[in-house]
Amino acid sequence: MSLLAQTQPMYWLPPDYSTHGWQIDQLINWIHVFMAVLFAGWGVFFARCLVKYRYRANPTALYEPIKAKASKVIEAAVVVIEVVLLVAFAIPVLAEYKNDPPKPEDNPFEVHVVAQQFAWNIHYPGPDGKFGKRNAKLVSDANGNPLGLDRDGDPDAKDDIVANNELHLPVGRPVIVKLTSKDVIHSFSVPMLRVKQDTVPGMEIPVWFTVKEGTSSDAIRETMIRTVSVPPAGQNPRDFVMWCTNNIAVEDIKGADGTVIVGKGREPSAEHVEALQKAGIGEIRVAPRHPVEIHCTQLCGITHYKMRGFVILMPPDEFEAWYAEQAAGGDEFIEE
Amino acid sequence: MSGGHHHDHGSGHHGHEPALHGHHHEPGFIGKYIFSVDHKVIGVQYTVTALVFLLVGFTMMLIMRWQLARPGEAVPLIGSLLSQLGITHAQTGALTNEGYNMLGAMHGTIMVFLGVVPLAVGGFGNYVMPLQIGAKDMAFPKLNMMSYWVYLSGGIVMMASFWANGGAAQSGWTSYPPLANTALSGQTWWLVGMVLLITSSLLGSVNFIVTIMHLRAKGLSMWRLPFFVWAQFVTAFLLLLAFPPLEAAGVMQLMDRVAGTSFFMPEGLIVGDKPTEWTGGGSPLLWQHLFWFLAHPEVYVLILPAMGIVGEIIANNTRKPLWGYTTLVYSIIFLGFMSFIVWAHHMYMTGMGTALSTFFQATTMIISVPSVIILTCFIISLYGARIRYNTPMLFALAFLPMFAIGGLTGLPLGLAASDIHLHDTYYVIGHFHYVVAPGTIIALFAGIYYWFPKVTGRRMSEFLGKLHFWPTLIGMNMVFGPMFFVGIVGVQRRLWTQTDYQLGQLTQYWVVFSSVGAAVLGLGQIPFILNFFGSIFAGRKAAQNAWEATTLEWVAAPSPPPHGNFLADPVVVCGPYEYSVPGSPKDYCPQCQTSEA
Ligand code: HEM
Ligand SMILES: [Cu+2]
Ligand SMILES: [Cu+2]
Repeated sequence: MSLLAQTQPMYWLPPDYSTHGWQIDQLINWIHVFMAVLFAGWGVFFARCLVKYRYRANPTALYEPIKAKASKVIEAAVVVIEVVLLVAFAIPVLAEYKNDPPKPEDNPFEVHVVAQQFAWNIHYPGPDGKFGKRNAKLVSDANGNPLGLDRDGDPDAKDDIVANNELHLPVGRPVIVKLTSKDVIHSFSVPMLRVKQDTVPGMEIPVWFTVKEGTSSDAIRETMIRTVSVPPAGQNPRDFVMWCTNNIAVEDIKGADGTVIVGKGREPSAEHVEALQKAGIGEIRVAPRHPVEIHCTQLCGITHYKMRGFVILMPPDEFEAWYAEQAAGGDEFIEE
Repeated sequence: MSGGHHHDHGSGHHGHEPALHGHHHEPGFIGKYIFSVDHKVIGVQYTVTALVFLLVGFTMMLIMRWQLARPGEAVPLIGSLLSQLGITHAQTGALTNEGYNMLGAMHGTIMVFLGVVPLAVGGFGNYVMPLQIGAKDMAFPKLNMMSYWVYLSGGIVMMASFWANGGAAQSGWTSYPPLANTALSGQTWWLVGMVLLITSSLLGSVNFIVTIMHLRAKGLSMWRLPFFVWAQFVTAFLLLLAFPPLEAAGVMQLMDRVAGTSFFMPEGLIVGDKPTEWTGGGSPLLWQHLFWFLAHPEVYVLILPAMGIVGEIIANNTRKPLWGYTTLVYSIIFLGFMSFIVWAHHMYMTGMGTALSTFFQATTMIISVPSVIILTCFIISLYGARIRYNTPMLFALAFLPMFAIGGLTGLPLGLAASDIHLHDTYYVIGHFHYVVAPGTIIALFAGIYYWFPKVTGRRMSEFLGKLHFWPTLIGMNMVFGPMFFVGIVGVQRRLWTQTDYQLGQLTQYWVVFSSVGAAVLGLGQIPFILNFFGSIFAGRKAAQNAWEATTLEWVAAPSPPPHGNFLADPVVVCGPYEYSVPGSPKDYCPQCQTSEA
């Protein structure tokens, strides 16, 4: 149970930082209320029958079918409630979300994501706002051109920014993500933005959403600080390692003599355990490096389980600065 | 056809008479127990084979559950042995991620196509249905035998694929292209295995339909059929109509893999940084449509026979007629029809337009209504009952709330908006397992305990039965209950470990709990295995009508029934569940007047 002691577990929907997500959450919650009521109704009747009509308690079983008005009522109620859920919630929520792309006057930010085994390639248009053509013939991860851009021949591609697994986005501004895949079907899912869409090779499928104003990855990280206990000597450090994976120390962790064991912003790992034990540190405080994660929710091959990306949410001005900096860096930014 | 025949006067049957006439040869050992054409022997063959496969599929899952709870640590006891199959690291003994994907794909395939369907249809359907309708055998006994042997070959091909180059299939039981097309040779074996399994089901389903239509005893009108027979009848139609598209799709995928066609491959694919050799022009989504056009009706193939079993046992042990028999029958027929027009609710995330998704959301909500009705009928059947809590009844009763959970949790998955968050998470795994494991598997156990005396002439131990029931029920809920919470937090399925993800770390404690549940469930099966084999040899002798039931298999056939089933042709005089008829001396009236032997 040491697991429970270390952090507050999550029991239900994760936090949501999108502007549309509350509607999805509301639908999920109402359906569960409906399910619980129906289940409880059945359950009470069921349990009562099990007790009341056990063999000894009832000398003769009833041959004539009872006139169960209740069943008609239940069935009618189920139909009515399902129609309401469908017509009043599900269809309009989906329609609003899917049929209503951001308009040009809302100044949407467009970015392309090209999935591949087992990474997310992020393609920004650069300062000119135009996406270079992606040419399958030019694709070569080995040559640092995972998207097949023609940097020399295609003027639109010159200033394009390409990144790997880290999708930086401005908050409070509509975002359009156009999704495709180089190889197999993946699925672009960001649970904390209530976004999910398969990426299908040969198709380009858009999703759009707006991140709530006023949030940022830095702010979210503050809400997800957790305390992790350092295992005593001789104990398997597996829990410690798990809780620290992709997490960073929120402050310098220092030994008695003031030497830094794990610096602020660094990921604690198994190799720190001994030093921490020596220094007599029982607990450390960590938080997710990038709290908003991209999952691939479609089985896509051997290391599907590692196909993780991050969405990094930034206030608009910070984002603009970051974007300009990337553009200035030009080709150098490209990661392998 | 040379099915043996005792005294057939041709009188008991309406409709056409199968070619059962001819001299009766007593078959030798091989003809009697191995290449038998007797539906009962074939039913037992199916049952035993399917139980073995269920155990295999479950063992795979135990290995996976170990990995999920203790990522990267050696699988206890058999870790190094498994490296022979290439699914664990030779040095560390830990399950590899390829190994995890193989076991996952094979667990799904085995459980559905080699375990549950063969047990529910091939086993129970084959054994019980002809007896319940008063038939001497299936309409086409040789076809029946063939169906079993084709099934067994399919199973052997599937299992052999672990020794294929690169190991067994690893693209999930859904085998979506392009992944499946670009996978190693295990996928080819999987496809060949599937084609065999589908062929077997098709042969079986034709046989079931003809048998039920033509070989019913005199007086046994459709509206006097036991609910179990109705369930098998609708199931057979689902198999017959839904499987051909998948068979075609399977062959197409096979051609894509071995003959260079491009049915499911779009242009310009780059896999592993190299262009692929497919010319392109195909559609990966076409496979999904063909696959789910089968796989949704398949869900009802997994559940309808279970409902049939539960209906029989509830009527018998409440000692009263099933409430709403006609409604139940209409409901399953309606389910059958509707199940063909909901398939794309598995595909909301493929980029479907809102018009299409509105259609599939509506049909999905509609199909939930008959399920609600069926459950309500079963529960109302308990009102005014005289409930005998024997082992089959405990399992049958447990089916009801478990199926309710499974069915209800389908609702948020059936609405596209809520599915955005839940699709392909552990919530889905929780949902369908509540339908097929605490649901169907529990009902199948109920059926085994119920019909065991008919098949063997002996009873299973009630004590061991209860010792099996409680850990099974508790274990199942420990395994699958937490999955809803892991899923609703947003953890995706089919992961070798979820501990690299924030949301996974925050729910890992549930994963550990669930794995402990799997161990409980596993241990809980020991009493069953002891009981099953022990009772065959040492069980208490059972009367012909061990449960004082009404239906023909109990009132007209000895236990175990001889070749040809009945000593005299049964003539049916009433409906299937005449229990506690006022004024009658006993609390049940047999469906036919043939005296008990
Ligand atoms: C009774 C014990 C069972 C346990 C403990 C169990 C457990 C699991 C788990 C944990 C998964 C998810 C694996 C993952 O996503 O990585 C899974 C997948 C699956 N299970 Fe089961 N299961 C059981 C029985 C069944 C039965 C009876 C059926 C079918 C009739 C079944 C059909 C499937 C299918 C189709 C999948 C999906 C495979 C895939 O991802 O391709 N399971 N099972
Ligand atoms: Cu992926
Ligand atoms: Cu479905």
